[in-house]
Amino acid sequence: MSQGVSRPTNVVTVEKRPIPEPGQNEVLLQMNAVGICGSDVHYWQHGKLGDFLMRKPMVLGHEGSGTVVKVGAGVQHLKAGDRVAIEPAYPLHNDDFCKSGRYNLSPRMFCCATPPYDGHLCRYYAHNANYCFKLPECVSSEEGAFIEPLSVAIHACRRGRVKLGSKVLICGAGPIGLLNLLVAKATGAAQVVICDLSSSRLEKAKEVGADFTILVTKETPQELAQEVEKVLGCMPDSTIECTGAEFCVHTGIYSTLSGGTVLLVGHGPALVSVPLLNAAIREVDIRGMFRYCNTYPMAIAMLASKKVDVKPLITHRFPLDQAVEAFETTKKRLGIKVMLKCD
Amino acid sequence: MAEHENLSVVLHKKHDLRLEKRPIPDPGPNEVLLKIDSVGICGSDVHYWQNGEIGDFILKEPMVLGHEASGSVSKVGSGVRHLKAGDRVAIEPGIPREIDEHCRAGRYNLSPTIFFSATPPDDGNLCRYNTHDANYCYKLPESVSFEEGAMIEPLSVAIHACRRGGVTIGSKVFILGAGTIGLVNLLVSKSMGASQIVICDLSMGRLEKAKQLGASFTIAVDRGTSAKELGQKVKQVLGGAMPDVSIECTGTELCEQAGVYATKSGGVLVLVGMGKPSANIPVLDLIIREVDVRGVFRYCNTWPVAVNMLASKRIDVKPLVTHRFPLEEVLEAFETTKKGVGIKVMLKCDPNNQGP
Repeated sequence: MSQGVSRPTNVVTVEKRPIPEPGQNEVLLQMNAVGICGSDVHYWQHGKLGDFLMRKPMVLGHEGSGTVVKVGAGVQHLKAGDRVAIEPAYPLHNDDFCKSGRYNLSPRMFCCATPPYDGHLCRYYAHNANYCFKLPECVSSEEGAFIEPLSVAIHACRRGRVKLGSKVLICGAGPIGLLNLLVAKATGAAQVVICDLSSSRLEKAKEVGADFTILVTKETPQELAQEVEKVLGCMPDSTIECTGAEFCVHTGIYSTLSGGTVLLVGHGPALVSVPLLNAAIREVDIRGMFRYCNTYPMAIAMLASKKVDVKPLITHRFPLDQAVEAFETTKKRLGIKVMLKCD
Repeated sequence: MAEHENLSVVLHKKHDLRLEKRPIPDPGPNEVLLKIDSVGICGSDVHYWQNGEIGDFILKEPMVLGHEASGSVSKVGSGVRHLKAGDRVAIEPGIPREIDEHCRAGRYNLSPTIFFSATPPDDGNLCRYNTHDANYCYKLPESVSFEEGAMIEPLSVAIHACRRGGVTIGSKVFILGAGTIGLVNLLVSKSMGASQIVICDLSMGRLEKAKQLGASFTIAVDRGTSAKELGQKVKQVLGGAMPDVSIECTGTELCEQAGVYATKSGGVLVLVGMGKPSANIPVLDLIIREVDVRGVFRYCNTWPVAVNMLASKRIDVKPLVTHRFPLEEVLEAFETTKKGVGIKVMLKCDPNNQGP
């Protein structure tokens, strides 16, 4: 079986590995589609991400869907032939975070393609059955693979308090920004304005439903905030910051209405200089997010009902044995989402 | 007679505080005329006295200071139904001027055009007589003293902060700073059911007071302590647990950072202290551990709760009042506050009632 494996020496290769057996509460999946994420590219280029350091070769890929081939002992809700979306990260201990529903904050988690755990960019992969979610017929395998990044957006919009009637600013029109746009609108946001440095990304944003787009050039964050207010006719209640750039963190704070929320998705440096007093005295909450929790069932429902359409965001497809080319394409930031077809 | 002159404490410009006689105003529709009894001095009053400004609020005209006040109703204006002459009240200083979206949503403290006693250009209550919107005067039962009534204002800062932080039964709370605001947050956290409260400060004297008022643990910080070290110390005293809510009451960057590091994943850091416009914050840590950072701006919907808690003796603010001065000795009162001696300094504005 072939797998896309990253080695600590920043080389990604395609190798053959044994087909695993599903353990207790696991299912063996024949992989269908796997999307490539910026973090996969990062591990490929740098061998590490934050505190996660690669010490041995690691299979990449955490945005996947597959078909159940075999069920392990104790699995009741899935059978061979079921197509599933894979939630890649799950807690290893039933601690207080798990019990209270915020399992994404549990300190010890398994996570596909995060050292030391392998991902599922391969033909056969075994996963915890409780974190495999059955896809209805009307949801394709590619849409299933898209549920992972879609989950980032669902969690972001929840944490960002986007709701019916919200006015939302999204900083960054890359894949994550665009997904937040789709989810914000599906959640009932009245108007979404999105900003980016690239006019082609903003064109795509307009196509997938942005009410307003702002091309960022030489403005200061305060000036950009004023543009946002002008274009929306009011200040946004929620800002979803998807770039990790200090400039956008500032813009988000200055832009947001008093009592609103700035949700930080993008990761930047450890210490950032922030107009904290402005946020504090206007009760603009600053919130971050770590992956997601309790999003897969909702994502499946939204895709099944066609209320969210992620298909326009899939721009490139490669067979698994062309993984290296797929990674190069992603690295060059051509298109939006690159999918690997594993079957 | 002294009591019939409206002796008022007026700040003309920084360092220029004067006692003046002003006319006794007449209450307009929906207003009451109050005979002021007790007024606490806040750090902001001292700041205006020393600097003439706070952030964007700049003193341009003479202004009466004082916003932590209580008094009795002397006269009611037209349309006032819930108060009558003789009623003793606590005064909420922030009154929205227009019914905007913030007011309609119940967060009137965020209304940009709000009136606020002793914030330029609005006059405060450090005087013998003042009028005030009757809807923002709350009747005090006999069991609640005028001084307790005046303490409702700083107590409100704490009620709002603890609410914003989500302090509730069983919460572990970390309070940074054991000055007046840290201490009222301690009292309110306890009332809300916090199981363990850790408080830190540079001053051993303040920490001793905190212990007397019910802090579970105190941490003495010295100038060499780093933000991460302070976070670690909190975890240590809590036996390896991390606080659900941290309440930052100093306005210093070190404590803002320590507040992030100390707080449990999924918890909340409330910023009460006002820091520098720009602060270096451990953003990546707050992101990947989902620690919310929430500021507070004054308070809203706190007076009725505070009156009830004081009336039922569930909260005791009396130990926080350490000094009192008659209105005429305002300068000495301000100097005392400025020196950081004691906790709350009260000014007594009724010459016939100078006791607690």
